[in-house]
Amino acid sequence: MTERTDIHKLANGMTILGIPMTQVQSAAFDFLLPAGASVVPDDCCGAPAVICDWIFRGAGGRTSRELTDMLDGLGLHRGSSVKSKHINLSAALGADNLLKAVELYADIILNPALNSEQFDFSRQLALHELSSLQDDPMHKTMLLLREHFYPDPLGRSPLGCQKDLQNLTAQMCKQIISENFNISEIIFAVAGKYDFKSLCSLLEKLFSSEKPKKTKNINPKKQSLVYHHQQYDGAQVHIGIMTPTVTPQSADYYNARVAVAILSDGTSSRIFTEVREKRGLCYAVGASYHSLKEMAGIGCYAGTTPDKAQQTYDVIITEFKKLADGLSEDELKRAKIGLKSSLIMQSESTIARAQAAAMDYYMLGKVRSLDEIKQQIEKISIQSVLKYLKNNTFEKFCSITIGPAKIKPQ
Amino acid sequence: MEFKHKKLANSLDIIAEVNKDAQSAAVGFFVRTGARDETDKINGTSHYLEHMLFKGADSLSAHDVNRCFDDLGAQYNAHTTEENTVYYSATLPQQLYEAAKLWCQLMRPAIRDDDFNMEKNVILEEIAMYKDLPDFDVRENCRALHFGSHPCGKSVLGSVESVKALTSEQMREYFGSRYTPNNVTAAVAGNFDFEKICDCIQAGCADWQPKHADRKKEYFAGTAKKEHQKRKNLTCRHICLMSPTVSYQDQRSYAAALLAKIIGDDTGSRFFWQLVDTAVAETATMHCEAMDGVGAYYSYIRTAEENGSKVMQIVEDIFKSLQKEKISAPELQKAKNKVLSSITIKNEIPMGRLIELGFNWVYLAQYRPIEDEIQRIKEVSLDDLTALLRDFPLMPFTQFSLGPE
Repeated sequence: MTERTDIHKLANGMTILGIPMTQVQSAAFDFLLPAGASVVPDDCCGAPAVICDWIFRGAGGRTSRELTDMLDGLGLHRGSSVKSKHINLSAALGADNLLKAVELYADIILNPALNSEQFDFSRQLALHELSSLQDDPMHKTMLLLREHFYPDPLGRSPLGCQKDLQNLTAQMCKQIISENFNISEIIFAVAGKYDFKSLCSLLEKLFSSEKPKKTKNINPKKQSLVYHHQQYDGAQVHIGIMTPTVTPQSADYYNARVAVAILSDGTSSRIFTEVREKRGLCYAVGASYHSLKEMAGIGCYAGTTPDKAQQTYDVIITEFKKLADGLSEDELKRAKIGLKSSLIMQSESTIARAQAAAMDYYMLGKVRSLDEIKQQIEKISIQSVLKYLKNNTFEKFCSITIGPAKIKPQ
Repeated sequence: MEFKHKKLANSLDIIAEVNKDAQSAAVGFFVRTGARDETDKINGTSHYLEHMLFKGADSLSAHDVNRCFDDLGAQYNAHTTEENTVYYSATLPQQLYEAAKLWCQLMRPAIRDDDFNMEKNVILEEIAMYKDLPDFDVRENCRALHFGSHPCGKSVLGSVESVKALTSEQMREYFGSRYTPNNVTAAVAGNFDFEKICDCIQAGCADWQPKHADRKKEYFAGTAKKEHQKRKNLTCRHICLMSPTVSYQDQRSYAAALLAKIIGDDTGSRFFWQLVDTAVAETATMHCEAMDGVGAYYSYIRTAEENGSKVMQIVEDIFKSLQKEKISAPELQKAKNKVLSSITIKNEIPMGRLIELGFNWVYLAQYRPIEDEIQRIKEVSLDDLTALLRDFPLMPFTQFSLGPE
C-alpha cells in the first residue's frame, strides 16, 4: 500500500492533491467548488442544485450534446452533489483518459455555456427532484434533521425550497457562479493511476489564468435543538435524532469516532443489539458521524411502525446516554478493528480515496495518511473515550419524525 | 489473477480468483434459491431464512455471530432475490479464513423458535419500510404483473399475511430442500492462499449430506398487462415498464446489457435526451436483468403526475424508432466505453469481483476472466443489436404505475 500524497498549489491558490495507487488501472477525481447550499443568498435556496446541472449543458464552445457525448465517450462515470459548503463534481474512469477528462471539466467549471434556454430545464429538474422528496420520507427525514440540527444556513437542504426555485433566474445563478467559483478555494484531488507531473502542468495551463476572489464568510444563526414532526400517511414513522459532538479538528475526534462505532458500527453494536436484535423494533436503524468544518453531530435514523415509534426512540436515547456509564475492553477492541478495517478497505476504491483526500484538505489543511489514522485509532483507550464523553455529554438532541404518529421527545 | 476450483465429494463447488496485489479478500456463499423456488403458501421464506442464518448455528447465538464478524472487522451482508440468496463478507486478508469458517457454520443454521419469532417482527418492519419507498414498490408490483403466474413474479419479501403465517417447521423443511451441496457455491476473491481457504471450507462443509436440489425453468415472455394504482400519500408518478429479453445463459446477454445502456443509461442515453434533459421526467433509466432461463428489461421513470401520459408517448416513440432506425455506431461505442470502465472500476475491489465470479459460476458453471468479459463486450456489433431487437422487440411491454389520488 502506498503512503505517498502528492500536493501542489497553483499561484492563484488552487490546490491539487494526488493519492497514487499502483495496483489499479483506473483513476478518480474530485473537484470541491466553494458554492454549496449554505453560501448562496437567503432567497436562492436550491441554486447550487440548478447550477450543478446547468454547467454540464454545454461548455468550452461545445453544445450540451457534444459535451455529454465526449464525457460518455471517455467511459466516464460522473457524479455531482451539493454539500453545505461545496458543489462536489466527481468522476471515475480508465486512467488512460484522465487528462482528456480533466480538460473537459476545466471547461465545465471555467467556461460553461450557461445558455438561458437550458437554464429552465435545469430549474425544472430541481423542482422535480424537490417534489419527489415528498415520496421518500426516509431521505426527507435525514435532510430535515440536518436542517434543524445545524445553525442556519449551514444545514440547508441541498434540494432547496420551492418558492426560491420558482423565483430563481439565470441571471441570479450566473451571479452566484461568478462570486463563488473562487479559484483560490477550489480543491482538486485525484486517486489511482496518474502521472502527477503531467497532471499539474495541465491544470496549471487550464486554471492558472483565473484570479482569486474574496473569501465569503457565513454567520450562522443560533439554533435550539427541538422536536419537529411532519404528518405523513405512510407505513412507518421515520425517526431522525442528532446530538452535537466534536469536529475532525478536535483532539477528541478519534474518541468520538470510537464512541459512534460502539453505538452503531457493526451488528454487535449497542443500538443494533438493543433496538433490532433484542426487541425486533426496526429493520433499518443506525447512527453515523457527520461533520461540517464548524460543527459536527452524531445522527441516527430508525424507521418503525407507529405503535413501536416511542419505544424505538426511547431505547436509542437511552443507549446514547448510557455510553458515559462505561464500555468494555471488548467493545473498544471491536470498534478499533472495525474502524481500521473499513479504512483499509475503503482505500482500495479510487473514488473513496479522492473524495477523502479533498475533504481532509478542506477540513484539516492536510491529507491524513492511512498510517496516521491507524495510529490515532490505536491510541484510544477506555479512559480517553470516557473523558471525551464527560466533556461532551449526549444530553441535547434534535429530533425529527415524519409519519402517521408523533413521539414524545425526551 | 489466478483461477482455482475444487469440487468436494458432496458436490459443493469452491471457486477462487487470487489477486496477490489486493488489500482485502472477500468470501461468499451463493445459494441458488429465491422467491421463485417457493410455493405461494411459504412466500417470503428465502428472504426470511437469509435473516435467520445470522441468528446462529447450534453452538453459536445471534449475539455470538454479530460479535465474531465485528471481531474480524468484517464488512458483511446478504441479499435475496427472485432466484439467489448470497452471503458475503470482505476482510483484511489475514482474517479471511476465520470469516470463511464462520460462514460454514452459519450455512447450517439452528433456526431456534425464539429467534424465529423475534425476527418475524424485523421482517414485517422491512416490508413496511419498502411500502414507503414507491420506486421499490412500483418495481415489485410490475414484476408480479409481468410474470403473472410464472414463479419469477413472486415477491421476495412475501406479504404481511404469508410471513405472519410462516412456521419455523416450514422454514426448516425449505432449508433442507434448497441448501444442498449441489445448490451452493463457495466463492473467494482477493488476496489469499487457495489451499488454506479450501481446507477451511472443506472442514466446515464436507459433512453436508449430498442431496439434489433443482429448479423448474420455463421461459415466459410476460403478460404485457397495464395497471395504475393511486396512493393518497404520493406526490409523483412512478412508472415501471418490463419487456422480455434473453436469459443469463444466452450469449446475447452482453448485447442486451448494451442495448439497455443505449436506451436508458443515466447520462447520454435516448431516455436521457428525450425525457431528463428536457425536464419532462426527473429520472428515466433502463437496465437488463438476465436471469435463470428468462430475462427482462426494466425501465423506471419518475415524473410529475401531470406528465404521465406525455412520458409514455415519448417512451413509445423511442421504442418504435428503435425498430425502424438502426442504432448508430457512436451510440454503441459510448455504451461499450461506459460498460468497460465500470468493469475495470468494479473489479479493482475484491468484493466487486466476488459477485461477478460467483454469478458466472452459478448461472454458467464456468469461470470468465475479466479479459474474456471485456472481449465479449467489444465484440458486440450493430447487427447483433438489430437481431436482438427483432427477436425481443421492446413492445408490447408490461406497465405498472403509481400516482397520487
